[in-house]
Amino acid sequence: MKRALKIAGYTWAVACIVVVLATFVGNNYFSAKLASSTGITISPWFSGGEIVGSIDHATYKTVIHRPVFDGLIGERKEGFIQIEWQPVTALPLVIEDGIDFTGDGKEDFAFRLDTAAGRGTLTPRNPSVIAIQTLVKVNQGWVARIQLRKVS
Amino acid sequence: MMKEHPPHAKTIEVRQSPGKSFLFALPMMLLTLMMMSGGKIPADPQRLFVFTVTYLFFNLLFFLMIHTGKTDRYRATAFITYAILFIVSFISHMFEARGSMSLSQEKILLCEVPFCHLVIPMTLIPAAFTKTIIFPGTITGGYASIASMFTIWIGASLSLGRGWCSWGCFFGGLDDAFSRILKKPVFRNINPRWTYLPWAVLLAVVLSAAAFLSPTYCTWLCPFKTVTEFEAVTSFKILVQTILFASLFIALVIVLPLLTKRRTQCSLFCPFGAMQGLTNRINAFDVRIDPDRCINCKRCVTACPTLSVTEESVRAGCPLISCMKCGTCMDVCPSGAVAFHVRGTPVAGNRNIKRMLFLYAAFLFLAIFSGGTIQDGLSRIIRLITTGSMI
Repeated sequence: MKRALKIAGYTWAVACIVVVLATFVGNNYFSAKLASSTGITISPWFSGGEIVGSIDHATYKTVIHRPVFDGLIGERKEGFIQIEWQPVTALPLVIEDGIDFTGDGKEDFAFRLDTAAGRGTLTPRNPSVIAIQTLVKVNQGWVARIQLRKVS
Repeated sequence: MMKEHPPHAKTIEVRQSPGKSFLFALPMMLLTLMMMSGGKIPADPQRLFVFTVTYLFFNLLFFLMIHTGKTDRYRATAFITYAILFIVSFISHMFEARGSMSLSQEKILLCEVPFCHLVIPMTLIPAAFTKTIIFPGTITGGYASIASMFTIWIGASLSLGRGWCSWGCFFGGLDDAFSRILKKPVFRNINPRWTYLPWAVLLAVVLSAAAFLSPTYCTWLCPFKTVTEFEAVTSFKILVQTILFASLFIALVIVLPLLTKRRTQCSLFCPFGAMQGLTNRINAFDVRIDPDRCINCKRCVTACPTLSVTEESVRAGCPLISCMKCGTCMDVCPSGAVAFHVRGTPVAGNRNIKRMLFLYAAFLFLAIFSGGTIQDGLSRIIRLITTGSMI
């Protein structure tokens, strides 16, 4: 028994050296496998959530993400919706958009973006729309996050 | 009471003759050459020079480790060099990519923040429940992707356990360096109760991260943001966060290691380190104290930079779960009682083989993981000297 344990111990120790080599040699493979087998993604609180629609304005488009209320279990009361305007080179000086994220055919809020001044104005038409959380210029265009609150 | 040196104390030395040391180091030379070069020696003279310096640096240290029988001295040289050049390389990259060390809202919204292992404990519960990672990084591809860091963490946990904290962590070398500056500590006694603090921090950050779906340690506490990247101060909240993490850096990474000669950030605060201690239990290597050789001089208790060797643990024959396998205790032990050990094997006997097996796994990990960063850091310094700019 002692001998078997000893052999197992040394084999395990040698395997550790192999693990070190495999970690680095196969890093790309293992990373891709880890990502695909777990199906893990970036939390919508950071990624903005999946894109659910877009409005085509001929030279530029408005991209609408799904409202994010995701909690650890179930949904939270507070959330946000991310809207993007792109590409940055084709954006007019002033953008005015009406967004319907509930899909009921009625505008939930209107957003006016002054791209020259970097200023946004929000006009809520739905009580769940609270305020502008973030408005940032990125490489591809402009990104806004609108704070939402669930209304029962 | 202190025992006399055992009569066989001289025979237990792990020193090797230069010829034998060279033979033992030869496989490391070949493996590091293969891994660091990727099978292709750089053609550009500057890159070739940097590669050669890095390669010789690592292999000289490994040779000396075998030849002198000392572990910590040479490990620390490589580990501290890694930490310093990591900062040089990382900051240069940040300036190259963004023009500053501060993280902009844009990079956060675009999920382009480099992932670091310290976030891992906070991501586990949200990942289990929501199948998402609560960090604004990339899953695969790009610089320091999440899946890549997870792979490295799994590999390190399987091969080294908490040895990661002394052989792999690119931040650990900082408080390790500061803990070595003074010859004697100003404060000798640290209440052992403080060693529970990292567990409390771990519990707090894991629960708060799960509750808020946000990496709370990174946002509020991580001291290493001071020397890597941090959010631009655009609000009072971010100002408070900045003051908090910068103060923690000064206290835990600079002042306390200087005054106590202990790695205070790693052993008394780091939540990742606390979690990594658990992986010591599923690891082939550990550190053992041979009661037959121990002369109860308590040098290991005094010298352990992570407070992992206590009088009780000496009596029990092994350090605490927080042991980072740095090798300090075995370097200071006058009777050779403390040694690396392979689970399942007897504590006494074959000390050299066990030490060599651990050193091969640990040093190889350090050399491969840090090799590219050290080369980049050196290139930046050469660029700074020759052109006046690191970017």
